[in-house]
Amino acid sequence: MSAEGPAPLARLVAELSRLPGIGQRTAQRLAFHLLRAPDEEAAALAAAIRDVKEKVGLCEQCFNLSEGPLCRICADTSRDRATICVAEEPADVIAIERTHEYRGLYHVLGGALSPIDGVDAEDLKIAELLRRVEGGEVREVVLATNPTTTGEATALQIAELLRGKAAVTRLASGLPVGADLEHADEVTLGKALAGRRSLD
Amino acid sequence: MLVTAVEARPLRSLVDVRIELGAGIVSLIGPNGAGKTNFLEALYFALTGRSFRTSDRRDLIPFGGSLARVEAVVCDADGVERRLLASVSRAEGRRHLLDGSPADPATLARNRPPVVVFSPDRLALVKGPPAERRAHLDRFVAARWPSRSELRRRYGQALAQRNALVAQLAGGLGAATELDVWDAALAEAAAALAEARAAAVEELSAPFAEAAGELGLEGRAAIEYVPRAAGSAAEILVGLTERRDADLRLGRTSWGPHLDELKIASAGRSLRRYGSQGQQRAALLALLFAERDALLEARRAPPLLLLDDVMSELDPERRERLVERLDGAGQVLITTTTEESVPGRAKRSVVRMPIAVPHAAAA
Ligand SMILES: [Zn+2]
Repeated sequence: MSAEGPAPLARLVAELSRLPGIGQRTAQRLAFHLLRAPDEEAAALAAAIRDVKEKVGLCEQCFNLSEGPLCRICADTSRDRATICVAEEPADVIAIERTHEYRGLYHVLGGALSPIDGVDAEDLKIAELLRRVEGGEVREVVLATNPTTTGEATALQIAELLRGKAAVTRLASGLPVGADLEHADEVTLGKALAGRRSLD
Repeated sequence: MLVTAVEARPLRSLVDVRIELGAGIVSLIGPNGAGKTNFLEALYFALTGRSFRTSDRRDLIPFGGSLARVEAVVCDADGVERRLLASVSRAEGRRHLLDGSPADPATLARNRPPVVVFSPDRLALVKGPPAERRAHLDRFVAARWPSRSELRRRYGQALAQRNALVAQLAGGLGAATELDVWDAALAEAAAALAEARAAAVEELSAPFAEAAGELGLEGRAAIEYVPRAAGSAAEILVGLTERRDADLRLGRTSWGPHLDELKIASAGRSLRRYGSQGQQRAALLALLFAERDALLEARRAPPLLLLDDVMSELDPERRERLVERLDGAGQVLITTTTEESVPGRAKRSVVRMPIAVPHAAAA
């Protein structure tokens, strides 16, 4: 037994402390909690972690999180297939869905243009978006990238590429500058969706 | 908002000093070495969490000590008192607390008056490189128009992104067309920032000339905004496109508001290069007074002014006029060595620096 306790416990602490926002002390507290927890509670957590890695992938059409080849939204025939909302991350889709203001489909880019981080257009699902739009059904593309420097530049780039191919709109301002959609409240985000403006 | 008390326990030579402050003009009197400048620094530290003399906060820790700590009591218009506490320790770094709890910078800023310092350490604003004047001007923009307070940061972010891409392209990575979107983003941010700076200098130029005259800056004193790139976003985009090849050779953005200058001149000559120490001091003071006038004119909260040793170089008549100008709005703290240099109407609120213990380091 080392200073950190038995080896399996030390390994659990080490793994937990790699999670974002979890320091060494929090990791220790969580590990001791799991050690004391009923067997079935700990087993359920372990199974949930295994399932999320095995069963959740990306939707083949929109790159949102999905349990099968197509995500729940793409598979839903009642959604408006002529409108695509472009978001940076799956978490942004969840935020927009919470508003219940939007009935179209999505396209998740997987980030935003950022030369500093070495992210260019090829690292994002932009070509895939163009192919979807050129497929014919789409009439409006709503750009819902974050109102940050990188999100705005990404919106600008996509608007340029889609010129003449579909109507392109941007979420109305009202979202605080520099904020991200994931943390915007539902009312503000709903208003931004309702008041989107055309980008030409 | 009013600062009603400051406790430094300790900061530099101030071991255990508590001073209560009233409204309006407060004169802080004490001989050289009594720690007057340290006291202004302590007050500034409690409010902002920073020093105006050093970028390394550990300099505030007394020699041989392990901690510096200052608390200020701030009273708002409704009489509600809040306590701001700033500390820095060798072991645990720095803390800035509002009523005993950690708070984010925006919350802290809402619960204290804006604060402006005149001290010999700040002369770099007049005689230093343009970056200091740009930063200062942008702080005024943020105080004057809160809705424009993000413009400096936004331009800085767009510039950093474009520079990263230009450096990659200069190194042979990627296609130059990738620059199009960042040129457009940068042009938009540049146009907004340049417009805000021009509007700020427009408001400041008349009060600056007036204050400079009162302070005895001979010749016609003037501030002038000298933008490197001005105009609409579309015009700036054209300029960036014209310089693209040069930028790709240099590996960075060679044109834009990050190279602007705020020119401070007297009789047509730049005080940065040709001004005497006395002229530079007068120009700095005139700029701070002009900003205060502009904020008052716009019905924004006037800043708390900390004026370190401004009286010594002024004759009695100019001292009178300085006090006249500052009386009636906001809170002003003026340090001076002798009571004789405090003009009559400022005598009603005089605070004496507590006698420093003999072995304490001089300010
Ligand atoms: Zn999908």
